Amino acid sequence: MKKIIHIAAHEYMRNVLKGSFILALLSIPLMIALGVGLALIITNLENDSSPVGYVDLSGLFSNPIELSKQDWKVEIISYETETAAREDLKSGKLQAFYVISQDYDTSNEIHLYYQEEPGQNATRQFNDFIQLNLVAQRYPELADRVLAGDNVVLRSVDGKRELPDNGPPLNIILPLIISFAIVMLILMSSGYMMHAVVEEKENRTMEVLITSVSSSQLIAGKVIGILVIALTQLLSWTVFGILLILIAGKGLGIEWFQEAKIDWYALLAIGLLTIPTFITASALMVAIGSTVTETQEAQWVVSIFMLLFWLPLWVIGMIGDTPHAPLPMILSFLPFTALMTISIRNMFVVVPYWQIVLSAIAQFLFALTAIWLAGKAFRLGVLGYGQKISLKAVFRKPIEVRE
Amino acid sequence: MNTIEVVHIAKTFGKTVAVRDVSFEAVGGEIFGMLGPNGAGKTTTIRIILDIFKPDRGSVSILGGAMNEQKKELIGYMPEERGLYQDITLEKCLLYLGSLKGMSRSEAMIRLEPLLERFDLEEHKKKKVKELSKGMQQKAQIINTIIHQPEVIIIDEPFTSLDPINTKLVKEVMRELRDKGMTIIMSTHQMHQVEELCDRILLINEGKDVLYGDLAGIRKSHAGNAVLVRTSGELPILPGVEATQTSNGNVKFILEEGMSPQDLLGLLSSQQVAVEKFEIAVPSLDEIFIRVVGEGSKV
Repeated sequence: MKKIIHIAAHEYMRNVLKGSFILALLSIPLMIALGVGLALIITNLENDSSPVGYVDLSGLFSNPIELSKQDWKVEIISYETETAAREDLKSGKLQAFYVISQDYDTSNEIHLYYQEEPGQNATRQFNDFIQLNLVAQRYPELADRVLAGDNVVLRSVDGKRELPDNGPPLNIILPLIISFAIVMLILMSSGYMMHAVVEEKENRTMEVLITSVSSSQLIAGKVIGILVIALTQLLSWTVFGILLILIAGKGLGIEWFQEAKIDWYALLAIGLLTIPTFITASALMVAIGSTVTETQEAQWVVSIFMLLFWLPLWVIGMIGDTPHAPLPMILSFLPFTALMTISIRNMFVVVPYWQIVLSAIAQFLFALTAIWLAGKAFRLGVLGYGQKISLKAVFRKPIEVRE
Repeated sequence: MNTIEVVHIAKTFGKTVAVRDVSFEAVGGEIFGMLGPNGAGKTTTIRIILDIFKPDRGSVSILGGAMNEQKKELIGYMPEERGLYQDITLEKCLLYLGSLKGMSRSEAMIRLEPLLERFDLEEHKKKKVKELSKGMQQKAQIINTIIHQPEVIIIDEPFTSLDPINTKLVKEVMRELRDKGMTIIMSTHQMHQVEELCDRILLINEGKDVLYGDLAGIRKSHAGNAVLVRTSGELPILPGVEATQTSNGNVKFILEEGMSPQDLLGLLSSQQVAVEKFEIAVPSLDEIFIRVVGEGSKV
């Protein structure tokens, strides 16, 4: 056990102190932060919550309906004269003011005055204000009904999940984000794993290592070291995610982030599928690392795995439209695609638990096969310096090498 | 007691016979030379001894039995395909590899310091391995092989990349380790190093042990009927001499069957030739190697 810890610690320290690791650690949070930041900047650029004014020359809006400040963020101020409104516009109290013409009832003419184009939210709200008050003058009951608003209940395709009408909330999307992060982690970690094996071959240290420890100890040490690296990344990203939700939700008051809740069912599914997927990917990387001669050579093989992992994202629209169709079902059971596919399906429907359990069992079987394959390839390949080992050779005959 | 006993081992990879039939024993307190041309099966034999490969046939006993995890800590191995972690410092690299031999970090550090000083690497310990010369890396490999004070050392081509000063240093270290009772198996192509260091040798050719035993005895058994003579005057034509070869003032007499060196000395004396040097011509290990490998048969 002591030797396994030594190998794990060595693997951990060698990787986490590299610039590429720090870059990978920060890249995902920075990408998310950048995305959220850009979205906030664009939203802020499009919207402006400062008041707008209006001068009603028509007399149609002399007694306007009071609007709730919760739903109507932009204050709409009535002015007696155009001069008064213009002064407030110049002083910056208003972002714009409207002059409703005397014959508005027949001409529909409204003049807009501004120094900088008003926010889209202000324009939308003023239009609603006009329409609502016009309706209220003729049909007061209807105006009350319009003010009361809708209670649209958006449901998932299978009808088991309710969604708010303003799109999927954070708690529904969160499992997909977590799956995305986990897939990134698996890809990075398995990449480290492959590199760890190839590097031992390139450095010619393998023969010294396997005369000091058993191949089981060696692989176990490396897997543990890389698992701890993955946990370090996961922990960092989790801390970042929580901070992001807190800052965006509570600090910046973004409503969408205030809805963050954990969907335990979806999370449990992710948990069940993550472990065997991680093992499968790592074991296959050991196998690839053992059979190729150089890191570069292994890169194209790794890119195939990456394509498989991201395949469900390419067909996300189709999965969303028909979550129980044959293709999403097949992808839910295949290695590499299962994790992401089930997470996507869980966004749109509640994936039956038996499917999750069955998929997890399938993933564990794939993991066992991958471990067996990796063991064979490792024993065959580690001493073959500079030699490429064919897949046929891996499957061919038992290799009588010590464990 | 034999430290290593190899009994009729054989190993085949696919259609390639790597080791056909090799047997030998090595004891504590000796430097045992393992020789053979490229592809003879030396590396496979070593890997079988170290339990990296299982033999198809035969058996290996090391330190009194089969290899196990505890015994690995009592063995130091420097393989032919040697290597160190290039991107970490020399000190970190040696401490890590030492820790895999069962030493604690503090223990490894205590042992490492004097070794670094002895091999003149102390001032380079904080350098990355890739910044060191080939000779320095070679010395680092030797430190890695002996730092845990093993009972058995298996070392492949220990003098590669070393200058004469460092070659001398490594020989000194090997002799010291031998004197402490360690068993050293040295595989090399450098025959003069074997002649200088080894007590006994094994020559492997085409997967078979073709020559095995005490070095002096082997040389003697391959001496043939020849003597080296240096005289101060002209040499007369002598009966019973098949051929002569002159080199560096010495004349090598190859004697006919039935003619002994004593007969030749008597002849020279009777003809009043002033003899300065007279010795049995013993072949060099190089000559024996070429002869035996060329014949391809066990002696």
